[in-house]
Amino acid sequence: MNIIKNYLDNMFLGLPETEDVKRAKKELLAMMEDKYNELKNSGKTENEAIGIVISEFGNLDELAETLGIKQALENKSDIIHVTYEEAEKYIEDSKNIAPKTALGVFLCIMSPTLLLLLLGLRELDALQIKEDRLIAAGLTALIALVAAGVSYFIRYSSILDKYEYLQKSVFELDYSTEQAVRSAMAQDEHSYKSAVNTSVILYILSILPIFLISLLLDIDGASTISVAVTLTIVAYATYNLINKGGINNACQVLLQQGDYSIKTKSNKTLQTISKVYWLVIVAVYLTYSFITQKWGISWIIWPIAGILYVIIKTVAEEKQ
Amino acid sequence: MISSDVIRGYNDTMILYLLLNEPSYGYEISKRIRESTDEKYIIKETTLYSAFKRMESNGYIESFSGDESYGKPRTYYKITEAGKSYYKEKCEEWELTKEVIEKFILKENDNEYN
Repeated sequence: MNIIKNYLDNMFLGLPETEDVKRAKKELLAMMEDKYNELKNSGKTENEAIGIVISEFGNLDELAETLGIKQALENKSDIIHVTYEEAEKYIEDSKNIAPKTALGVFLCIMSPTLLLLLLGLRELDALQIKEDRLIAAGLTALIALVAAGVSYFIRYSSILDKYEYLQKSVFELDYSTEQAVRSAMAQDEHSYKSAVNTSVILYILSILPIFLISLLLDIDGASTISVAVTLTIVAYATYNLINKGGINNACQVLLQQGDYSIKTKSNKTLQTISKVYWLVIVAVYLTYSFITQKWGISWIIWPIAGILYVIIKTVAEEKQ
Repeated sequence: MISSDVIRGYNDTMILYLLLNEPSYGYEISKRIRESTDEKYIIKETTLYSAFKRMESNGYIESFSGDESYGKPRTYYKITEAGKSYYKEKCEEWELTKEVIEKFILKENDNEYN
């Protein structure tokens, strides 16, 4: 039954949602469902029933004038059509690129850990080296890791550049391609969900080193090192999530779900906000950290910025 | 199966005929059209819906919410007085059309054919 609903949703894709259109959709769906149920009761298989219902549905052009969607229907034919081959290639490429992107992110998150580790060891008096030398070594490692991470992004993201339109503009898939994408997503679901579970558990556990060490031990050096441990756990959890999320993300893009829904895509304000937002956060993080040298605490901006982003996004969507 | 182009002008007549005695809803009407024509004519859902809307705005039929099907209220249609007289006009028009077109249709037993 879902297939029929999806078929109908697809036909109405990109058309204005006026009261007349909504009513037409509802009534057409009722007719199709009645027909489907009766075909099933008369002994047809699910596939046969769906085939007959879809082949006898007709053409939206017939409703254009009555529903006042003539103009919209004409514009609709300008909508990009994504073929089966394109969709398949996109999923394949996303799957191959995911581990590289994941590694890039991993390196970036790991970048301050050596600095933290060295500073912590010095505070514990385990290292007898001058502080400015430590900072120099730690910062060198930080910059080297960020550079390595970013160069990874640049090298591999260019492969996905040609698919940017899938994330940004509204397109349509034909019925069989959509089914193929759905089945690819279902096949990957188990592996994806267990990766999400593992990562979520790790994210929660990652807070433990900071809390336990700073609460129980209350030694300056130990708590600085605990931040490095936390960052390492966060880095691995994120690596795992991105690495195993390639197929799922590609399928979401293709099915125009979640962050890639038609509603979000048509919300230009939100797109601008999110672009500027993350640039500002990066700038604030780097400026604050370099000026105050409080690398041990400044990373807190990331989880806070993440939560704030979700709130801003929800508000912006509500306003639409 | 009959092409929908030929029959276009008479979808309204079929629907109104089926509504003469009692109100009905989308699927029931399309089913009765299919059955009474021995599946020679199957009306498409979009054709049926656009006929409903057109006749509703012309005042030939009225819609109302009827009993539920699978938990959703069904839209029923009933014929109005204007609809009944429009139906009669269409019947007369068809008799005339038939009479006119018939003159130009070759029949196997026709003298002219031999």
